[in-house]
Amino acid sequence: MRRILSSPNGIAGSVLLLIVFAIALFGPWLAPYDPQLFHAQNRLEGPSLQHLLGTDQYGRDLLSRVLNGAPTTVLFGLGATALGVGVGSIIGVIAGVAGGRTDGVIMRILDGMLAMPELLFTLLIVTFLGGGTGQALLAVAVTFTPGMARVARSSVLSVRTREYVLAAVARGESRAWIVFREVLPNAIGPIIVEATIRVSFAIMIGATLGFLGLGAQPPSTEWGLMVSEARQFMFRNPWCVAIPGLAIAMTAMGFNLFGDALRDAFDPKRSHG
Amino acid sequence: MTADTANDRPVLEVTNYSMAYDTDEGRVDALKNVSLKVRRGQTHAIVGESGSGKSTLAWAITRYLPGNARELGGAILLNGADMIGMPRADLARTRGRRVSMVFQDPSSSLNPSMKLGDQVTEVLRRHRGMTAAEARAEAEAALARTGIREPARIMDRYPHEASGGEKQRVIIATAFACNPELIIFDEPTTALDILTAKQILELFVKLRDETGVAALYISHDLGLVSRIADTVSVLYQGEVVEDGDAETVFDRPQHPYTQRLLAALPRPQDRIAVEDPQDTTPLMSMEHVSVRYNVPSLLTRLFDRDAAPHFGARDISFDVRPGELLGIVGESGSGKSTIAKAATGLNPFDGRITFDGRSFDSRDRFDRDYRRQVQIVFQHPDASLNPRETIGRILARPLRLYDLVPRDGIADRVRQLLEMVLLPPEFAGRYPHQLSGGQKQRVAIARAFAAEPKLVICDEITASLDVSVQAAVARLLVELQSRSGAACLFITHDLNLIRQLAHRIVVMQHGVLMDEFDAADATAPGRADYTRALLDAVPVARMPTLPQPARALLS
Repeated sequence: MRRILSSPNGIAGSVLLLIVFAIALFGPWLAPYDPQLFHAQNRLEGPSLQHLLGTDQYGRDLLSRVLNGAPTTVLFGLGATALGVGVGSIIGVIAGVAGGRTDGVIMRILDGMLAMPELLFTLLIVTFLGGGTGQALLAVAVTFTPGMARVARSSVLSVRTREYVLAAVARGESRAWIVFREVLPNAIGPIIVEATIRVSFAIMIGATLGFLGLGAQPPSTEWGLMVSEARQFMFRNPWCVAIPGLAIAMTAMGFNLFGDALRDAFDPKRSHG
Repeated sequence: MTADTANDRPVLEVTNYSMAYDTDEGRVDALKNVSLKVRRGQTHAIVGESGSGKSTLAWAITRYLPGNARELGGAILLNGADMIGMPRADLARTRGRRVSMVFQDPSSSLNPSMKLGDQVTEVLRRHRGMTAAEARAEAEAALARTGIREPARIMDRYPHEASGGEKQRVIIATAFACNPELIIFDEPTTALDILTAKQILELFVKLRDETGVAALYISHDLGLVSRIADTVSVLYQGEVVEDGDAETVFDRPQHPYTQRLLAALPRPQDRIAVEDPQDTTPLMSMEHVSVRYNVPSLLTRLFDRDAAPHFGARDISFDVRPGELLGIVGESGSGKSTIAKAATGLNPFDGRITFDGRSFDSRDRFDRDYRRQVQIVFQHPDASLNPRETIGRILARPLRLYDLVPRDGIADRVRQLLEMVLLPPEFAGRYPHQLSGGQKQRVAIARAFAAEPKLVICDEITASLDVSVQAAVARLLVELQSRSGAACLFITHDLNLIRQLAHRIVVMQHGVLMDEFDAADATAPGRADYTRALLDAVPVARMPTLPQPARALLS
């Protein structure tokens, strides 16, 4: 952790993440209004004392909506990543440890999946499953799986031929011991780093799906959906697009910067500033 | 200035040079008050163990220091010109033109995407202003001088199409191409095989004598340095502890560190082996063992009829007797590690391995009992211990796996094991990265002996250690062998070391067993030509005059 905080990127990332998590945890309680409450008199207003960040097309308080949307959005990112990373890593580790024909078959299937552009693939799955937060989460997780499997496999492969693993094989250790005690603890670093960076992708894809109307459905306060709904009124009140947009950008940047710093901290050969 | 005074002035003069690195743990001194002189036509050697600062010194001279290096004073003069204050543009002209460098690993010091010829001509065109045609002719001549047989053909090849020896010759040709004043050789033969290294060394001596260049030769190999250097500096933790005329330093070392280094050199006449075992019934016998790599699949054979497996080892047969130390010697790629891996079930093999009266014809037949009795220690101490486990848990593992000690006795046994390899008991709580290379290798040896084996296979276990550590590890191994009565299969490329340790020696080349003999008969007539070539390539170091016997110095 000290190494992460030793670079400006790491500090910025950590601070952003801290803010995002605080909002995700306490946001709904901090919100001054009910996020679904219409204030018919004050539609599409800019920031004022009454509504700190202004209001949207129905006169709903933007601050309350953003604060309420934080848990959904962040949980979506974390959930999709956890699922994708979990499944992907298991597949990757199996391929890496088994080797030979098993590895060949698994990797060719994954290559086929990787050949499809990520967003297109997600859209395809969502179209198949129908809209909704759960479906969108599943779609993002499925899209992440092949990439994560590749990362996990290469990480396992680089560890598998180390001499301490060979020593365990020569000792006659069981397969489970070799995988869980000798290989995985040493291969997990790159997987964690990749996962952190991917959270930001997940949030952005989630927002994109929300924007396209394929993710969360109105009147949800998911940030991507908020941008999408307010799009028509952008010229009458730019705040209602800018605020949720900014929130998405901040969260994504936080995970990205933190992930980069984490990678540098894991890398023993990192250059000294 | 007359020619005389010009000759008097050293080509390279380093005076009281100090340097440190800024790291996370604060400032670390790399070089302290280093002074040395290299004159025209002379070879000055810098010897020292890893971490002594020898390569740092080379970088400092060529002004190629990393960003966290801090120079703390002193001067570096190249023919009187100050290198430290030299502007960038002048430096770029100096490097390659006036000072050139030859590195350790020829495979990583050439650009893999450029033809070898272009890499030589580039230097000539850049520094001597030649046209492409002139440079090509000159490069061909330069390569011919290095003894490359068909220089024109080599020039059209890419680095991966040339052997290690050829690549190092190309690098040496490049270094000599612009007739530089000084050439720095940083361990130029360490990454090469024994026979190739010998040829490269002969080439170095020939070119040096022809051109009269001043050479700074950095090496950890004292035996080698004593043969080629005129003057020598011994570097220890960034300090020159002893310098002077090479003959004087090597014959009558004054500083205790130099004495210890020289005493640690393996010499076949100081045997450190357990007594010759009387029992000649084999403990393990390899019968016609072959290991094949990349066996083509049915599908591959369908498309490529010529596809054939590559033999890592072919039809190898030998015995290991109980309690003896059998040496396997060979260059890289000779199949010696392949055999070790076959015997420990890491490689599939054809043929038969008989151990203690039981016979196995495939690695899948190796059972727990066999695996316990045949243990292996690997070459790289940094890679052979799991970095996420403590030393205590690493040593406890074989005890638990093979149920050797009751559960409550494990901690005691781990302490005994540490003691056995001369490490303090508190090491049990440490992680591998907190230990030095030699200490890690001791832990790996302790782990092998923890299983109470009948045969320990040591795969180049001293190859990546410094000379003095190497001697200590070898002595420890023999000590453990005499205590436990285990036999040992010791794989190495170091003939002098193996003649010190082994009872019998097996020589391998290209996956085939070439020669087998008793250690005492190594120099006897009737040895295979290949064995003789290997022996010739590594002369035995002379024993210097020491204030006390070598054994006392090392303990």
